[in-house]
Amino acid sequence: MADHVTETREAPEQGVSVAQVSMTVNGTPRRATVESRKTLADTLREDFGFTGTHLGCEHGVCGACTVIVDGAAVRSCLMFAVQAEGADVVTIEGLTPPGGGLSTVQQAFREEHGLQCGFCTPGFVVSVTAYLRDNPAPSDAELRDALSGNLCRCTGYQGIIAAARRAARELAEEQQ
Amino acid sequence: MTAEGTGPVMAAGRYIGQSVRRREDPRLLTGRGRYVDDVIVPGMLHAAFVRSTVAHGQLRGVDTEAARALPGVVAVLTAADLNPGLRPMWQTMMGPMAPSAPFRPLADADVRYVADPIALVVAENRYIAEDAAELVAADIEPLAPVLEVGAALDGAADLVHPELGSNLAGEIPAAASPALDAAFGDAAHVVTETFYQHRYVCVPMETRGLVAQWDPASEQLTVWAATQGPHEFRAICARILGLPEAHIRVIMGDVGGGFGQKMFPMREDIAVVLATRRLGRPVKWIEDRNENLLSGGHAREEQMTVSVATDDAGHFTGVRADQVENVGAYPFPGNGSTAGAGSLIFPGPYRIPALSYGAKAVYTTTCGRCAYRGPWMMETVAREQMVDVVARRLGIDPLELRRRNVISPAELPFTTATGMVYDTVSPAETLEQAAALIGYDAFREQQAAAREEGRLLGIGLALYIEPSQSFGPLGTEGATVRLEPDGRVALIMGTASHGQSLETTMAQVVAENLGCDIADITFIQGDTAFVPYGAGTGGSRSAVVSAGAARQAALGVRERIVALAATVLEVAPSDLEVADSAVAVRGDPASAMPFAKLAALAYFEHATLPDGAPVTLEVSERFKAPPFTFSNACHAATVEVDPVTGHVSILRYVVSEDCGVMINPMVVEGQIAGGVVQGIGGVLYEHMVYDADGNPLTSTFLDYLLPTAAEAPVIEYGHVETASRLPGGAKGMGEGGAIASPPALANAINDALSPLGIHLASQPMSPSAIVTAIMARDDAS
Amino acid sequence: MKPAPFSYHRPDTLAEAVGTLAAFGDEAKVLAGGQSLVPVMALRLGRFGHIVDLGRVSALTYVRDDGGSIAVGAMTTHAAAGRDPLVAGSVPLLARAIPFIGHFQIRNRGTVGGSCAHADPAAEIPAVAVTLDAEMEAAGPEHTRRIPAAEFFASTYTTTLEPDEVLTALRFPVWPGRTGSAIREFARRSGDFALAGALCAVTLDAGGRIERAAIGLLGLGAVPVRALQAEQAVTGAAPGDLDMTEIGLLAVADTDPPDDVHATSAYRRRVGAAMAAQALTAAVAEAQAGTDAAQEAAHG
Repeated sequence: MADHVTETREAPEQGVSVAQVSMTVNGTPRRATVESRKTLADTLREDFGFTGTHLGCEHGVCGACTVIVDGAAVRSCLMFAVQAEGADVVTIEGLTPPGGGLSTVQQAFREEHGLQCGFCTPGFVVSVTAYLRDNPAPSDAELRDALSGNLCRCTGYQGIIAAARRAARELAEEQQ
Repeated sequence: MTAEGTGPVMAAGRYIGQSVRRREDPRLLTGRGRYVDDVIVPGMLHAAFVRSTVAHGQLRGVDTEAARALPGVVAVLTAADLNPGLRPMWQTMMGPMAPSAPFRPLADADVRYVADPIALVVAENRYIAEDAAELVAADIEPLAPVLEVGAALDGAADLVHPELGSNLAGEIPAAASPALDAAFGDAAHVVTETFYQHRYVCVPMETRGLVAQWDPASEQLTVWAATQGPHEFRAICARILGLPEAHIRVIMGDVGGGFGQKMFPMREDIAVVLATRRLGRPVKWIEDRNENLLSGGHAREEQMTVSVATDDAGHFTGVRADQVENVGAYPFPGNGSTAGAGSLIFPGPYRIPALSYGAKAVYTTTCGRCAYRGPWMMETVAREQMVDVVARRLGIDPLELRRRNVISPAELPFTTATGMVYDTVSPAETLEQAAALIGYDAFREQQAAAREEGRLLGIGLALYIEPSQSFGPLGTEGATVRLEPDGRVALIMGTASHGQSLETTMAQVVAENLGCDIADITFIQGDTAFVPYGAGTGGSRSAVVSAGAARQAALGVRERIVALAATVLEVAPSDLEVADSAVAVRGDPASAMPFAKLAALAYFEHATLPDGAPVTLEVSERFKAPPFTFSNACHAATVEVDPVTGHVSILRYVVSEDCGVMINPMVVEGQIAGGVVQGIGGVLYEHMVYDADGNPLTSTFLDYLLPTAAEAPVIEYGHVETASRLPGGAKGMGEGGAIASPPALANAINDALSPLGIHLASQPMSPSAIVTAIMARDDAS
Repeated sequence: MKPAPFSYHRPDTLAEAVGTLAAFGDEAKVLAGGQSLVPVMALRLGRFGHIVDLGRVSALTYVRDDGGSIAVGAMTTHAAAGRDPLVAGSVPLLARAIPFIGHFQIRNRGTVGGSCAHADPAAEIPAVAVTLDAEMEAAGPEHTRRIPAAEFFASTYTTTLEPDEVLTALRFPVWPGRTGSAIREFARRSGDFALAGALCAVTLDAGGRIERAAIGLLGLGAVPVRALQAEQAVTGAAPGDLDMTEIGLLAVADTDPPDDVHATSAYRRRVGAAMAAQALTAAVAEAQAGTDAAQEAAHG
């Protein structure tokens, strides 16, 4: 939070450099006062305490910051919190099933050793969750292409691809 | 996918040898990991560095007035504030006498590479700190950069470090050898080639960073660090600040990868520690990706000239190697050279009767070198490519040439010309397994048919031997195993697992050797206040040294639990067996005493025990490993090269790995895969480029290209398990994937291009580089 | 990598947006999807005192049949355009180009208008616009105007929009008749900006000759260009009479692509020629294979 910029200017023609933003995060309404330049990623981490969203590059390439905004997987480092005013945001923390434990996608990552250091993992889990929801039966090539927007340095992607494939299969079975 | 090994297969235990699913995963999968940027300390300030935008220049002055005046800025610190009064910087494994670049947290009289840190801004948040950093005016008078190793050494270029008097950072002179001269004199063939490896970098997904908190009242320093070695971090701070080690607590939580870059604290880390001392407030620094790419530590840029003498059947009779490493301006550790290790391991798995190895390490005005997964690996990169060059020159298939020269099982134990003794390695077996798995002979037929159609298919092999590094200060690790009052088990280790799954594999070792349920084990690492001294996680040593300590401590506790149970049950210890966290008389399950019951007796109900009954259910052990334990592997790759675009498709990628007894095959394969894709990244995509003025051109992920899931091949594994002579039989293997993949891939690409008369001895082998070679050859013909 | 401070404006209408741009001139920058602009700001390669977020100007998000052309509102995301049946059915080249744009997370936020206003020489949407002779609709404080795509892209990251103009829509003409289209590009990795690429639309006459051809090139210059000589060479020809490799070489003959860390100029031209040949071949094949009804089925 910007201690030294205290005014929320009320003259809209001048724009605002500090604003109060409201959004729903993981099902709960949240509010924060942030500089207009503060990214959604930083706001989620610092103002709302959801540190599961990670910063790997801050220029929109690595995908470690992926969250779901109004139903779509996006890079939260490329959004300002003010742009998410009124939005419905789901972070990795919001993917835990209501009874606790691991979601189908998360469990698939565990079964297939789809993570090692875990830093890229929330971004992958969120991306895979969003992708399979909209594309439940991807081909292998489509899956690899979909995964190409997230970078991992530890796994060589073997476990990640296997996990995504397994999750697709298990989610499809759950639908039946 | 795992094939049947051709070597002796170890019988899997209850836990050892099982692909136990990881205990780290639930918190990491749900976003509940605790990485350094998640650490919040009350009153914490945030740091940003001002960095040189010039590769080499006189630093005439640093004007911080405007920056200091910015609201929210607490301090802007320069060399005058932070550099004075420091004791020497040296790393434990190198020792105080090892040659190294001068150590200074911040640039003072000059700047020596682009991104050289000049000032440290400390502010209320990182946004403000970056605003202030832009307001710092550094007056730099540019000097000519020093970029090429040749120019750096020939006296024409400036000195990178005038205080050292030379740009030669280190040298290993090639030893004179009459036997070698004779071998070359008598040789049927002498083949010489120079290989160039480009600069590429670690890129852990989490950048470097720390939170440092100095408490002036108690004169104690607490550091939360993204580190691979909390004790080394502590030791170095203690040394240069002149503090007792026990006054420093380094806490490592979850760390997002390191690959060597986080093995040692570097200048920025020390600057932040100095800042908290000066300000008396906690300071957080999280490196951004731009900084990480420009200043986090570079690697791999070197060249090696190899000359091989052979008889007329292609047997190697002598080899000469001459290496030049570009270590940048401020390398870590020591002078950044890895030629010492390289010179020992260079013979690899071949019979080479006579060998000489000379090397020079050279300073340049670029980012300094750091360790990167198999830092010495140029020896394998050059050697394995050279085998293929010799094969092509002599008209012998590269597989066949390897068969003729590889150390056979009958020759073990084998002492190399460099004094390394291999006894439990299996290079010949892995060569055959990899060749069989990839279908080498069938591929040659496929390749010939494809050539008729104008398609360029190629196959490449790489064999290597990998040392688990447990020499000198790396030779021991500690573990404490404690039965807690509730009967569960605490496993406290000096490891720094940051992706290597030690929380799971070390628990497997303890569960197997103690006889407890693995679910009952709590693994604690990373806090120097609690854990035994650790030399850091890296260097392919955990399965040897850390597992050794865990095993020893577990067996110690087992012995004590059995002794206690024997006293209570009034039987001999040899009549008891331990399983599933209970001790029972063999053949009498009803007699079983759960660990919880035994713990209660020892901790609380000891009045009921006879005199002298053992009640200490905690054992701390330090395990000493031999200096090196060797694992080995063979990598095989098939590729197709598109002659129009130069695109390289990897068709298949096979690894036949022998790392002794595998504690967790799933973890082993994951480590191989990560290393292989890093090596593929190096050969095909990644290139840290400086222009002629020393400006980095690849400073973000837009230009420094990492492979993605779409570029990664399917990796197929074969396993050979030749147990080490250590108890438990394991060997380390974490670096190997990144060591052998570059030459395997390079060999495959050159095999594909060979009908065109093209040989590439330089990396990267980008599409543009391949096409440029094709076009040059088209023009020439 | 945190951006420099700025004043944030979030107009609800186009008129407000244009008014704000007019008020602040060079100090103001339009924020669309942010996938290109925010990295620039994070790296502090560009800084703007005022950011005008078009995210709530709902009037700029649409896909409409305009009779003879398909109008796509500038704030339509790549993802939405890529899913749209009108686009798939009537501007298949656009539908085929969209999957090449970055990754799905980027396509969820990036917009067709934003991509054109950013004007990266290797971007797909600008290349589609130039290939199909799209019209770029812009609104200023006192006017709206339509700019032919060929006149919209001036240079690398530079368009002919005035500082107080907002790009409001792209109008893609629908190609009637026996038409095929294709895009072929070569990138080092999935989702990267291409090192070279070609886009092609062809219409065949009743006799199977090429009645009309458009060949666009991306990544081979400061702006996407039409390979006019190659287009002339194929127009009126029977496809079977054409040496596609030669046509590809002709297509890139006048280009002067950049040298950079990823590829040399000569490399880009070589690959560009191959891409042009492949794109033309594929477009012709599709046109040959399809009657109008079959084309609808293929594109639907």
